[in-house]
Amino acid sequence: MELGNIKDTFDRVAKKQKLSSSKSQEVIDQVGHEIENALAKLQGDPASPVDQKSILVELQTKLSIIGSQSQLEGSQKELNINLSKYTKLLEKSFNPDISKAYRNVDFDFHTVNQIIACHFYRQGLFDIGECLTNESGEPEDTALKSHFLEMFQILEAMKARDLEPALNWVSINREKLKQNGSNLELKLHRLQFVEILQKGGRADALNYARTYLAPFASLHMDEIQKLMACLLWAGRLDSSPYSELMVPSLWEKLAEELTRQFCSLMGQSYESPLSVAIAAGIEGLPTLLKLANVMAAKKQEWHAMKQLPVPVDLGREFQFHSIFVCPVSRDQGSEENPPMLMPCGHVLCKQSIMKLSKSSTRTFKCPYCPAESSVGQCMQLYF
Amino acid sequence: MEMESLPNGNSAAAAAAVAAAAAAAAAVAPSSKLNQLAESLKLEHQFLRVPFEHFKKSIRANHRIVEKEMSAVISGVADAANADFSRDEAVHHLNSLVSRLQGLKRKLEEGSRTEHLQAQKCRARLDHLESADADNLSDWNNMRLKRILVDYMLRMSYYDTAMKLVESSNLQDLVDVEVFHEAKRVIDALQNKEVAPALAWCAENKSRLKKSKSKFEFQLRLQEFIELVRAENNLRAITYARKYLAPWGSTHMKELQRVMATLAFKSNTECATYKVLFEPKQWDYLVDQFKQEFCRLYGMTLEPLLNIYLQAGLSALKTPYCYQDDCTKEDPLSQDSFRKLALPLPYSKQHHSKLVCYITKELMDTENPPMVLPNGYVYSTKALEEMARKNNGQITCPRTGFVCNSSALVKAYIS
Repeated sequence: MELGNIKDTFDRVAKKQKLSSSKSQEVIDQVGHEIENALAKLQGDPASPVDQKSILVELQTKLSIIGSQSQLEGSQKELNINLSKYTKLLEKSFNPDISKAYRNVDFDFHTVNQIIACHFYRQGLFDIGECLTNESGEPEDTALKSHFLEMFQILEAMKARDLEPALNWVSINREKLKQNGSNLELKLHRLQFVEILQKGGRADALNYARTYLAPFASLHMDEIQKLMACLLWAGRLDSSPYSELMVPSLWEKLAEELTRQFCSLMGQSYESPLSVAIAAGIEGLPTLLKLANVMAAKKQEWHAMKQLPVPVDLGREFQFHSIFVCPVSRDQGSEENPPMLMPCGHVLCKQSIMKLSKSSTRTFKCPYCPAESSVGQCMQLYF
Repeated sequence: MEMESLPNGNSAAAAAAVAAAAAAAAAVAPSSKLNQLAESLKLEHQFLRVPFEHFKKSIRANHRIVEKEMSAVISGVADAANADFSRDEAVHHLNSLVSRLQGLKRKLEEGSRTEHLQAQKCRARLDHLESADADNLSDWNNMRLKRILVDYMLRMSYYDTAMKLVESSNLQDLVDVEVFHEAKRVIDALQNKEVAPALAWCAENKSRLKKSKSKFEFQLRLQEFIELVRAENNLRAITYARKYLAPWGSTHMKELQRVMATLAFKSNTECATYKVLFEPKQWDYLVDQFKQEFCRLYGMTLEPLLNIYLQAGLSALKTPYCYQDDCTKEDPLSQDSFRKLALPLPYSKQHHSKLVCYITKELMDTENPPMVLPNGYVYSTKALEEMARKNNGQITCPRTGFVCNSSALVKAYIS
């Protein structure tokens, strides 16, 4: 699809439209001019007699000449041709009907409304979310909303270089963060330490270190040592070997990590599920539309299928589960038909192995290498 | 800074690793991302078509005004030439024609301004599509999601929310608020059992409705007729039918006859064929019919864009594992609301194995092959190497607690 070509075609349309418009104005002016002339002749000298009929007939003739000479119709026709050319170009370059893949199943709009409201809370658009709950009359997910409200309050404070709310939250949730393997608390204290060093000076920073950094000493000695060394460069940290502790991107990274941990502790995903689902839809829709077309041509049933007949390739970021597909039967692994590892290292699904062995005791050959094995030698895999 | 304990499957640390992997994947294969972008742009027909239809409509309307006024003026002159006017009468007549022309000029100028704005909107949309590239991809995608949301809210009549979203993200040129307002006027009237705005809409779009052989106007007239019969205004109903229904007789005789027959019944008739015609549901059919005609004329989908994309995405993501309790939270289908929507949709299909390491959430492929523990549990080479490095070669299965040495690991070959 050549956007440049489409733009050019549209420019042509706009040009023809301006031309047609100015032609109209021209003709109107000409007609107006002739009428004015006739008026002048009629009103000319109030004393002398005037043959109004002949003036009017002359006017009529002049107007019909203008009418026949005018290129008004021609320019309008040109414009219409270009308009329909552009429409056809759009239909050719784009998919004119993306609803062909839509299934007429029960798609409950109440659920959709609630999903959208939660999405707005996640993005920090609280007033828009509230407006939606009001207009749609859906019940509000107050728990979720207040959680995200808290998170955004912490993040707003961080943007203003105020770490207090963040530090509060982190100390309340210390245990859970440790379980997650996160050292967010240390990082926040470190940032606060550097801030204090910048503003307050050595004494304040040292006090802070004694109170808040000391508990981390046993596990993170090298970090603490680095921070203590920073005291030597109070006020000119940017010229010290530790200048990387001052870069503004550190704040952004920390805000991101806090968001991740916060969402994780809430049992929520980091990305908005609506964003992920829509992104997957945008990636997958072209394939589904092609499929719908093919099935319509073959008069196959689109609406009642339990599984898509073709794979829809999505990017890695959409791969949330391990899907094992047996290379022999193309069946997907399941509880009843799990993947089995053969001694040679190749993996088939259980049913394929049973078929190959034809009994539980005879050996069979792996389809991929000359190695032989028996059913008993195969081990069930858990991905 | 190093991580201490073993991260489990659901930790945010692993999620961070996924994000890093995704970013790395995006950087490593930008051409495939750009390909996907190009494919996704082809889905934007409605985006370009709607303002263009609006533009065409203004052009047509302005053409019609010019034609009408010009022919009125020219025939006005002809009339004057044929009549026997006195001098004063002639002057008076010509003056009225001049002011009519001036009125036309003013209307045209205004029409020109409107056309210009609409052409600009068309161009702005083309520019917006062109502006999408590898650098601003996530921002551009965010804008697209917002456009999709605005489309949904306008269709659902949540106008305040739509406008708030439009204003907060400067989407004015990229959404079609006026178009939906135009539709709302007609729909509201129809829901109030008034056909006037709908008929006016049909008149405005007469030629295009005729081209598509639409019988919407006929159905509106039929409903008005039925309302007259319901009110027992039979004489007026017949006059109405003569004027407005008869012209459709040549193409829709059967339907016309069926409705005409209601004259013989009262509105509370029990006869099934005619009872249905008196039901208020008929007005709902008219609303649906209008929506279909309207969307077709403007090149819009009948369904909200959100539903179309959401269905496609849910189906592409849907696997039996999504409905299990240990489904990772990063999967949208771990949420109840998404699960509910996805229930009637088909499962996705894979032709090749796609395996995700439980520990790092990364893909286990030829660069990072799966390794099998003696208890059958599988993790990625990278995750197990890291674990072995930190634990003196000792491997502990995070799901079962099974302990072994890294030498006991076996490579699995999965195509």
